[in-house]
Parts: sequence; structure tokens; C-alpha cells
Amino acid sequence: MSAAVAARTTGAYRWLVVPVDPPVEPSRDLVGGKAWSLWRMRSLGLRVPPAFVVTTEACAAYFADGGTRGAGGLPEGLADELEAGIRLLERRLDRTFGGAERPLLVSVRSGAAVSMPGMMDTILDLGCNDAVEAALAAETGDPAFAAEVHRRFTGFYGRLVLGCTEELEDLPDTAAVRAAITADGAGTVPADPWEQLRAAVAAVFASSRSRRATAYRRHYGIPDDLGTAVTVQAMVFGNVDDDSGTGVLFTRSPVDGRREPYGEYLPRGQGEDVVSGRVTPEPLQWLAERDPAVHAELLAAAERLDAEGRDAQDIEFTVQRGELFLLQSRPAKRTARAAVRIAVALVDEGTITPAEAVRRVTADQVRTLLRPGIEPAAAEAAELLARGAAASPGVGTGIAVGTPEEAQATPGSVLVRRCTSPEDVHGMIAAVAVVTEQGGATSHAAVVSRALDTPCVVGCGEGTVDRLLGRTVTVDATTGRVYAGEVPTSAVDEAEDDDLRRLGEWAEQAVARVTVASPGSDVPAPVLDADAIPPEELGERLPDIPPGTRTVSGALFTTPDGVRAAVDAGVDVIVAAHRLPVLLSVVASQGELS
Amino acid sequence: MLDAYQLTLHTLTLRQLASAEQLTEITGQPVADVEANLEKAVADGAVLAARGSYMIGPTGRALLDAAYPDAFADLRADAAVAEAMDSFETGVNKQVLSLTTDWQTVEVDGERVPNDHGDADHDAKILDRLGRTHEKTQKVLRPVADADPLVDRFLDRLGTALLRAEGGETDYVSGVRVDSFHTVWFQMHEHLLRLTGRERPE
Repeated sequence: MSAAVAARTTGAYRWLVVPVDPPVEPSRDLVGGKAWSLWRMRSLGLRVPPAFVVTTEACAAYFADGGTRGAGGLPEGLADELEAGIRLLERRLDRTFGGAERPLLVSVRSGAAVSMPGMMDTILDLGCNDAVEAALAAETGDPAFAAEVHRRFTGFYGRLVLGCTEELEDLPDTAAVRAAITADGAGTVPADPWEQLRAAVAAVFASSRSRRATAYRRHYGIPDDLGTAVTVQAMVFGNVDDDSGTGVLFTRSPVDGRREPYGEYLPRGQGEDVVSGRVTPEPLQWLAERDPAVHAELLAAAERLDAEGRDAQDIEFTVQRGELFLLQSRPAKRTARAAVRIAVALVDEGTITPAEAVRRVTADQVRTLLRPGIEPAAAEAAELLARGAAASPGVGTGIAVGTPEEAQATPGSVLVRRCTSPEDVHGMIAAVAVVTEQGGATSHAAVVSRALDTPCVVGCGEGTVDRLLGRTVTVDATTGRVYAGEVPTSAVDEAEDDDLRRLGEWAEQAVARVTVASPGSDVPAPVLDADAIPPEELGERLPDIPPGTRTVSGALFTTPDGVRAAVDAGVDVIVAAHRLPVLLSVVASQGELS
Repeated sequence: MLDAYQLTLHTLTLRQLASAEQLTEITGQPVADVEANLEKAVADGAVLAARGSYMIGPTGRALLDAAYPDAFADLRADAAVAEAMDSFETGVNKQVLSLTTDWQTVEVDGERVPNDHGDADHDAKILDRLGRTHEKTQKVLRPVADADPLVDRFLDRLGTALLRAEGGETDYVSGVRVDSFHTVWFQMHEHLLRLTGRERPE
């Protein structure tokens, strides 16, 4: 509290906090999690686009009864402070809000101390109107870009501030978006940037009491007066001159986890260009040759963020007129192989403990690594029966059956269907693989198979059911192919892979009570074997574990759900062929690290 | 409208191998009624029982196929319902399937890999979109919900699943063994297809 007051009083604001190198940490309760992260990046000496925050106290005042209201229904004095805040951003970047030359655009986003669903997400490019679009076109020499900025802003404003419920994202231009908003009876987007800003701030406040946000708080016992802060941040542009660009950097390889920065840079590119493919990206080395100082600053920043985040980071950045701005840093997406490598490397670097490392890798990821694959030579020699889209990876061999009932009655079979309905789910649970004639990688069959971790190939086309029924087939759901007969597979051995072996040792130390035994070893009785329970008795459920059971075995008890049930029931031993995925599921079921 | 007996049979097409309690959860029928209906259905040979779980058999299916056209004649003739279903199939249903896919897997270097739920922002964004899609579905399906009371119950159950997912129970987006958003959506989709006599479009 005192720290927050100090930060505020230095700027002499009642409703704002300006996180410009604040000497003291702002209160998260006052500025919200997002603004707190901005402050954190600043305090690490990293450059982020300038910003200011409207505090949660302003939000509380917005809802308070009897308060004096200023412009736009905002608390008295807030409109003036918004203007003062914008002036700070203008001075910092030498741009003008609503200006006919070098215009300043801002993003407006919500941020509570505790993240909460149902609150307004980000409005980008606020401050845009016809004149600003023209100014932006002149400055960048790219009228299409300026028009796109205007179109997107109009869509954001229409949906988030005016509450337009029509789809606006796919409309071709600003005029079409405006027309759709008007047709929906949602009102109009004001041309005055200040009016846009006041209305956006009020909309963020109001969203903290949206139906969904309220339902969430009620359900989880979070007080209703928590409210939200509003972060207003300058937009920076990577397409204003030849010394500008935008890019993304991974501090470690997302593919294999190697500790080597990897990334792409789009000279004269702006955020959406990455997606649209309007500009061809260059490797980071391009930036190193063109602007070694910026490149060095970027790599130094990446090092700091990797260490600060204690994990591999995915960093978005923009260079505007030769000045580097970091836009966002978050834990990087990664393959299963990279997840394992990064977790082990972080322990070796002394960044995390082994107990933390085993929480950085999921059972799913290890299962992915241990999954058998078909050797290319074996695939070459095999007879191809069907081909479709790979929906849930893995390999399964068995007799092809045509109904869920047969799949249940025939252990180890492959369920082949035209498409799947809820009636097939119990058959999909019993089957070693699923094949469908219709549907794509986002069909119900695909979603259910992935949830079950059952290999699944979808969309193999008409006649597939007839062609496969009764035959022994091998489904290679990693490549989306179905072969005749049993095709040999090979797999990684968890005992022979260094990283997996070490993770396994750490997981064993982290697991207090339960041990994992390989099939066939001596285990304490009584034993519950899920594989021995008739499938029609099980349905889609997990078997009840009778009190006093000491050992569980069977495929069901190697899934995350099954492991959790076994741990909850207090069993001592889980029988499984692969130890590590089960151990990691136990670790996950033990709850958060204390 | 289906009568209470037909409704219990119909529920078994939405969830096979279910207990009376699980069927009650779907329709809101009193559990004693469901049990009585199941008992009668087993005696009629329409349903097979296996230690507390029930499965619909060919006789039961034939009974339903004969009952639907009459039970839903008005609904099937309603242009607003047809329009709502078109919009459902091409709009929100595609969105939900693509969002659940993005929840399960993320793209790394052009390849889909399991989502390790390590990026809270990514998950929050998907839940947010799922929430918006849920709200939109309530609007899209209004004409169907006005004609069939069960639709609102599905929409409520979707809301419950979403709330649990938002509270950190990641299973409640696409898990199979719980009443996750996708489990309920899959049931609702099947219900709507049977109601309107449409073919599954995938």
C-alpha cells in the first residue's frame, strides 16, 4: 500500500500509476497483473512501449454510488488524468494522439490482480479515425497497412466497447465493419480519439461485472468489489522505415530444446504481417548484420527474460526507428522432446530444482516420446489400405471392427466408423485405434481420441469401412495411414535415454508413497486389475477401487485420470510398463509444490 | 415431444452404457421415473442391462426412429429451426471443435504437439473464446430451445463445465470421462441431429 502510494504521488495522480522506472514496486492489487509485469520488465532494464495504468481504485469509484461523475461517466478527474497520461506517451515517442502527422495509437487492456474470465480483452490501435489512417498511410508509405489498422480497430471497438454481437473479424474493410455494427443496433464508433479512450476505459470497468465474470467470482468466492485496472500502452510500429521491423525469438529451440536463441525477423514488418505472409521473414542473423547493436541488445534481453522466467521464453519484439521494444515474453510452446531437454537443462544450470523439473514435463509429453513409431522401411514395404488426416498420433494394430459393441467385445481391435457419435465413445475407449471415413482433424472423433490418447486417423473417404472390416490392420496415426497386417514398430527406451532416465530418478524422489512396478513383478495384494473387468461393466467410467486395495494394474490405471483415482484411493503400487508417465501423473496429482 | 419413456430411451443414444443417475443428469427426469422406464425397456427388449449400466438395442432404436417424425413434426417444419441448425453447424459447432483442438494441442514449428498448459495466457484466451462461443450458441439456438425444453438444459450444463475449466480443472474442456464442455457439446449435437432429423455433417 505505502509503496503504491509513493509511486503514485511522485506523479501526483489520483487515478493513475505510471510505471516509468518506479523506484518501488507497485501493488498488484492496485495496478493488476499485466501492468505489474510491465513494471517488472522495466526494472530489469528492458525497454517496453511506454504505458500508464488506471488503478483498481478508479474502478471501485466508477461503481461507487453517489460519486461525482466526470466526462463519460468516469470518476471525477479521471478524464483529465487520461489526457495527462497520453501526453506522457506522446512526449516519449514524439507522436500525437489523433494527430495528422506521426499519430499515436494505444492498446487498452484489462488487468485484475487475479486473472478472471469474462473480462474485456485487448483493444488494439485505439485512437484511429479517417485522418489518422491517412497520416499512418503517409508515414509508412503503406496505405493497405493503414487501412488494415483502421479496420481492425473498428472491429475491436465494435465488439468490445459497443457490444456488437456480429462477427466483425472477417469483414473486408472499415466501411463494412461500421455497417455491420450499425445494422446490429450497437451504435457508432466515435471519431474523437479521446472519446474512444474514455469509452474504452469505462467498458473495461463494466466488463469486470459482466455476467461471466460475476458467475466466476460467485462460484469461487472471490469478492465482487475486486474490480480491474486498465493498462493503456503505446503501439509501436515496425514498418515505419528501413530501420524498423518486427520479430519473434525463442530463447531455446522449441523443437529440440537446445540452448540456442532461434527466431525470425521481418524487416519493415508489423505484427499481422507475420500471419499474412505479406513479408518474408529473415533469420535473426539478418538483424545481426544490419544492426549489430539492436541484435546484441535483443540477445541480452532474451538472456535476462529466460533467467527471470526460469523457463524457455517466447519473446515478441518490434524495432521502431532503430529502437528495440519488447512486446511480450511468455513460456514458449515446445515439443515433448524440447520439454524434457529444457527441464533437465534448467536443473543443470542451477535454475530449478529436480522437484520442480518433474512438474515441468507432463505425462502426456513423455507418452508422446515413448510412443512406438513405424520404421520408414517397414512402411515402404507394407500394403497401404487407407489414407486420411492424422488426428491423434500413435500406432495401433488389431482386427478392424465396425461397431462400438464389437470393439468392446474384441480386446485390442481397431474401430472403423463412417463418423462417430456419442454412442461410439465406449468403443473408442476399448479400441487400440480409431479410423473414420469422414471428418477432419477437428471432428468429434479427433477431439475424443486425443482426450483418450488413442491413435486416430480421420477422413479416409467412402468405402474405408467395407475395405477394412475383418482384416488385421496397422493404423499409423502419426502419418495418417492404415496398412494391411501387423507392421513392426520401434520405440525409445526410457532407461536408455539420458534425460528421461534422470527425470525418472527425480520423479521417484518426488513421489512420496506410491511405487510403480513393471508387469510380472511381485506386488502386494489385494490387487485390482482393470483389464480383468468386463468392458460393458465399466462403460466410460473408471472402476471403483475397493477400500484396502494395495495394487492396481491395467491400462486404465496408467492414464492421468486413473493414476489420480489410484492415488486418491491410497494404493501403494501401480503396475505399468512405462514408469515415467505414471510417476509424472502421480507428481501432478500431489498438487502444487508447497 | 417425446413421452417420458421415449425420452429415457433417447437419452441412451446420447450416452451409452449409462447408469440411471447419469441419464437423469442429462434430462432432469426424476431418477425413480428413469429407473421405472429402464425396467420396462429391459422387459420390452428395447434396452440391455449390464450391472447398473444400460445400453439401447436394435428394438429400442427402431422404436425411436418411428417416434421422432411425429414427436418433432412441428419443430422439423419450422423454418427458424432449420436456419438455426444451419448456423449451428457452420458456425459455433466448427468453432467449438477447433477451440477444443487448440486446447489439446499447440502448434510448434508446423507440428501439433500436446498442450502442456504451461502458458496460462494461451489457456485463458481459449477459455475466453469458448465462453464467447457459449454465449453466441445461446443466441443461435434460441429458436430450437423455444421448441424443445432440453436444449436450455444442455446450455446450462455447458456453462457449468466452462466454470469448472475456468477454475483450473483442465479436464473440463475436452475430457471424456467427465461432463466436460466437449462431452456435453457432443451430446447436445447428437440430440439436435435426432430432433431435426439431420445427418451428421462430418
